[in-house]
Amino acid sequence: MAYTYPKDNREFINLLKKYGDLVTVEQEVDWDLEMGAIVRRVCEKKLPSPYFKKIKDYPGFEALGAPLATYRRLAIAMGLGSDASIPEIAEEYVRRTTAEPIPPVLIDRKDAPCKDNILMGEEADLFKLPAPMVHDGDGGRYLATWHFVVSKDPETKDINWGMYRQMVFDEKTMVGPVLPFSDMGKMFYGKFVPKNEPMPFATVIACDPLSGVAASAPSPIPEDQFAGMLMGEPVELVKCETCDLEVPAHAEIIIEGEVIPNMMIEEAPFGEYTGYRTSPREPRTVYRVKAITYRNNPILTVSNMGVPTDEGQLLRSFSLGLEMRKLLESQGIPITGVYMLPESTHHLVVVGVKPAYSGIASQIAGLIFGSKLSPWFHMVIVVDHETDIYSKDEVIHALSTKCHPIRGIHKYDQAPGTPLNPYASPEERKWSRGAKVLFDCTFPLDWPKSDLPIKVAFNTVYPREIQERVLSNWKNYGFQD
Amino acid sequence: MAGKEFDTFFLTDPEKIPQEQEIEMILRDLSPGDRRYKYRSFFAKAMVSDLESKYPDRLWVRLGRGQLLEKPWSVKVLEELKKFSDVEGGTS
Repeated sequence: MAYTYPKDNREFINLLKKYGDLVTVEQEVDWDLEMGAIVRRVCEKKLPSPYFKKIKDYPGFEALGAPLATYRRLAIAMGLGSDASIPEIAEEYVRRTTAEPIPPVLIDRKDAPCKDNILMGEEADLFKLPAPMVHDGDGGRYLATWHFVVSKDPETKDINWGMYRQMVFDEKTMVGPVLPFSDMGKMFYGKFVPKNEPMPFATVIACDPLSGVAASAPSPIPEDQFAGMLMGEPVELVKCETCDLEVPAHAEIIIEGEVIPNMMIEEAPFGEYTGYRTSPREPRTVYRVKAITYRNNPILTVSNMGVPTDEGQLLRSFSLGLEMRKLLESQGIPITGVYMLPESTHHLVVVGVKPAYSGIASQIAGLIFGSKLSPWFHMVIVVDHETDIYSKDEVIHALSTKCHPIRGIHKYDQAPGTPLNPYASPEERKWSRGAKVLFDCTFPLDWPKSDLPIKVAFNTVYPREIQERVLSNWKNYGFQD
Repeated sequence: MAGKEFDTFFLTDPEKIPQEQEIEMILRDLSPGDRRYKYRSFFAKAMVSDLESKYPDRLWVRLGRGQLLEKPWSVKVLEELKKFSDVEGGTS
């Protein structure tokens, strides 16, 4: 059964407008820093999405900034209204993504809006698109900031949708990092480069929001099927013009071409999801463009990575945390929940657990640090079942009172990391090496019950009768909330 | 008065960049005729100098993480280099 969800970027814009989560900017804005600066401030202030109606030098183009930078907008994208809580969004996401995968359907190109305009050969010029200069000091204009790249395994035919940033170098060339442990990296470096063969790619810009959510999720299920699970029906794809790939038919802009083996061009610096420009300009993977297709009056999506919170941090935290939850539940660990804080730029995850046996926090850390998800984060806080994992106040309180500074902190060296970790040394970044740490905030099970500290809170140290009396009289006392 | 403006990224100490001799480098065009092409990058044979008036065009220098040097250099572009053999209208 299909869920209620926006089928393309335009329906999403209308929904945001309906819920009062959109600011329509009629004044012309410059793609050169101004648009990026507006989106950055929107993220930092957690304001509604800006919808830019006029972009300097690019009549006919529009842009939507910060499309999914808040949980509220994620809830709207999932058809849950605007008031769903984070736990409610998480439960619905897990429910949908633990059902059966839903393969995509192929539709005719005449029914695919992304084929409204087709530029081939010389005409396929990246500078015809309003790629923003997102931050001052970036290595170039980034056309692809909220997008995904489609690739296909040449042997298994598995499809991958992943968010790999792409800097415009010249009319025909984009450059960006493809890390060797990423799905596309394994495909490209493992199967195309050894044969010196180019890998076909298609960049999808401004698709429906749920396809974007799927592309940012670290699920083992192919993203074109994962998107269908989020929608409750197959995502509609259409064949590319120049290669054997399919792309969402209702996306705003598609860029087709090849990833070039055994060639690197300097890319970056770029303001990254960690909130820093960490990785320096250096040689990275090269994309050559063969075709550009786009809808009439296309609406670009613009994300702006920086200090929290933008969509990369929010959605990656959301889906990483929930994939960890599925992993731990599959192993029978009695967890009460998993929440990765977006403010941690998806580096810190909080796991709630009923401490049923000794060493359970170490077991949790071992499982998630040993998973394919682990290069992307390095801190795990394990709290007991009485701590609300979604409450930063409660988590900080547990961390600072229940975690022993020596016995409660477990460090893991020589772990996979990313070159984007600001804390890593230049050498560690070069080799994608990192480190991990577990903060065990559970009291040891071998402590006598009489020695256990008693948490002093409204709901822990008063009899139920008193709590109920106080709550029922709260407004009578003169309090509003 | 400089004719055109470019910038570049030096990934080593700027003092180690060979000056007043032909080098290969990546330049970004900051003053194209058509503004849509601002920040277009290209490989070039060029000569650079930390003296702003040495060569006809102005060159702004950035370091590896985008830090901009306060004082501009100058550059003489000798030739734009083509790095790709896959035609399809590519200019690089």
